[in-house]
Amino acid sequence: MNLHTVGLNHDSAPVEIREKIAFSASSVPIALSSFTQSFPLSEAVILSTCNRVEIYATSPDNTLSKEALLDFFSAFHGLPKEKFADHMYHHQDMNAVRHLFFVASSLNSGVLGETQIISQVKEAYMTATAAETTGSILNQLFQRSLNVAKDVHTKTSIGKGNISVSTVAVDLAIKVFKDFSDKTIFIIGAGEMCELVLKHLVERGAKTAIVANRNYDKAKSLAEEYDGKAINYENLDDYLPQADIVISSTASPRPVIHTEHIKSAIKARRGNPILLIDIAVPRDIDSQVAKIDNVYLYNIDDLQTVANNNAKDRKKDIGNCVVIIDNEVEKFMAWFEELKIGPAIAQLRNHFHEIGEQELERLRPKLGEIAHEEWEHIVYSMQRTLNKILHKPAKVGKEKAKNGGGYQYVETIKHLFGIHHKDESKK
Amino acid sequence: MINLLSPIQYIFIAAIVLYILDSVWEVGSLFRPGTFNKRLSNYFILTGLSFHCAFLIVVSIRSGTLPITTLFESSTFYLSLIVLLSVILKFLYRLQALTPFVMPIVTGFSIASIALIRNDLALTYNLKTFWLFAHIIPLFLGYASFTVSFIFSVMYLTQERQLKKKSFGPLFESLPSLETLDALMWKTITLGFPLLTIGLVSGTVWAKTSNILGLLWYLDPKVTLGALTWLIYAAILHLRLGASFHGTRVAIVTIAGFVIVILTFIGPFLMGHKHGYDKGSVKLEQEIEPEPPGIEKVKS
Repeated sequence: MNLHTVGLNHDSAPVEIREKIAFSASSVPIALSSFTQSFPLSEAVILSTCNRVEIYATSPDNTLSKEALLDFFSAFHGLPKEKFADHMYHHQDMNAVRHLFFVASSLNSGVLGETQIISQVKEAYMTATAAETTGSILNQLFQRSLNVAKDVHTKTSIGKGNISVSTVAVDLAIKVFKDFSDKTIFIIGAGEMCELVLKHLVERGAKTAIVANRNYDKAKSLAEEYDGKAINYENLDDYLPQADIVISSTASPRPVIHTEHIKSAIKARRGNPILLIDIAVPRDIDSQVAKIDNVYLYNIDDLQTVANNNAKDRKKDIGNCVVIIDNEVEKFMAWFEELKIGPAIAQLRNHFHEIGEQELERLRPKLGEIAHEEWEHIVYSMQRTLNKILHKPAKVGKEKAKNGGGYQYVETIKHLFGIHHKDESKK
Repeated sequence: MINLLSPIQYIFIAAIVLYILDSVWEVGSLFRPGTFNKRLSNYFILTGLSFHCAFLIVVSIRSGTLPITTLFESSTFYLSLIVLLSVILKFLYRLQALTPFVMPIVTGFSIASIALIRNDLALTYNLKTFWLFAHIIPLFLGYASFTVSFIFSVMYLTQERQLKKKSFGPLFESLPSLETLDALMWKTITLGFPLLTIGLVSGTVWAKTSNILGLLWYLDPKVTLGALTWLIYAAILHLRLGASFHGTRVAIVTIAGFVIVILTFIGPFLMGHKHGYDKGSVKLEQEIEPEPPGIEKVKS
């Protein structure tokens, strides 16, 4: 088939290597066009994310190989092959198809079941289409890979249940509050984690944020980013009753929110529920707070437990994903063989008729003067003979294409009649 | 008549069978969504409800009044209103988790109501009057919405408990947020309360003008319990609007309110009080087809 993928990912290579091999978004089209200049008949797609760099390429001739692709990486990045070759994997033909389907379905991702990779694969494909380096084979392959990924995500629980602490926090918030547009998010300690949770909540419609931090400037900059309000850390208690969701991650060695704070806040809120998320270690919120009615308190361990359980559930479903993928790989290979059998038969036919014509050309001068009609008979007889010989292999080929095994059949036929060798000797 | 049940009552039995299937499917779909198809449960509940309504319509046509002439009829009428309200809310608010809570309860009550078929207390008064619509319909609708608000309280407390205990199972996934449940609890109470008020006021006027319940009408247990129900729901409204009374506490008091609703509905009958129903009065089904002497004998 001649489909190759060469690349590296977070498993096979450390970040120092990955960053050297990676293509920036703007350099991908350049790389693609330089690739197709070196391999004029080929189709190519480059997938470059922070976790992986891969090139998918196919060519009707036999010019592509692992070495050829490694050379391309080496030449493009100006990096000696020895520096990275050991970290690169290579898959060919069916294995390459399977690899792409695994990648797109996020079975190959660092975070199992993440959905970002689907859009990254899509983008890589769109970039290649825009650079006009895809043809019928890679178009089909990448479109199918996106469908497989969608299928895997809807039919299995590989992407179900959030597995990061920040998204689990949002999951809990969703079970307490209906929508966030009229809720106030209170951020205590302008850390990275708090910001991440806030970001997710804003994505879900949250509009009002209050930020308190020991360093007021830091609070201010975070608040400004989300159209919120920065307050003085000392006035924290005054703002508690307004808060529907409190996210706390200060560096304080002692709790900063005590039972009496929350008790009075709940009273002021007339019993409206309050969700407290304590991401800090040591903890910021007194654990006794959880006993108050309508108060829901979760610390980092609670969130981590949920995330871990969800991750376990995802792993359980890998088997089902593989079943779906293998099924689709088989379908793709069948399509491919069908695609390939037509040109292969045509090639075989041309090959025979070429031989026939050569023989006729040799025969013609030897016959001397003969009637035009007689010559026509000879030509016709030759063509009939060739077609009769070719009839059976063509018929079997079409059957093979339908029932699988077409690829091997074509290879055998080509081998048998030396069609490959002829192509190569031409070059 | 060869059997205990009249052919019409078999329509109700068909509805019960569908309700049983639906209950299994609804609860099953919460825990094993793969095995128990949600769409199938929609078919079960809708055909079940259609049979249920068909039964009530036939009964109404035969008696010429609402299906409340016997205790059995009024129970099934009340149950049909609960299913109807739940189905409306389910599709209106996309509440997949409501019917798994409602249907097992309704199914249980429906099965229990079969025991009332042979209860021969029947309404002694001609009900083709204005009071029928002023007293009985508002009360039945009110009771149905209180029942649904009770279901929401149970859902609220279930979800609340899971959030507090940090046990997040499949039920946690399918139940909506506390805020949603609180709002629905509130909506159904505020729907039920005016209906209850109308029903009680018109009932009082009716009792005073027609003298159906005698001079001491206010001592009729159904009247007293009705007043108690009204007071409890008035208290919930007052507390929730005025004081720091949210979520969990409202849910608990709503459950208490529902217990009184059930007591009001069925208690006086069980204790032998009549509230306008009496033995040997206009019997509808039974009069047309005389009761068989013994079921077992006939069946064998």
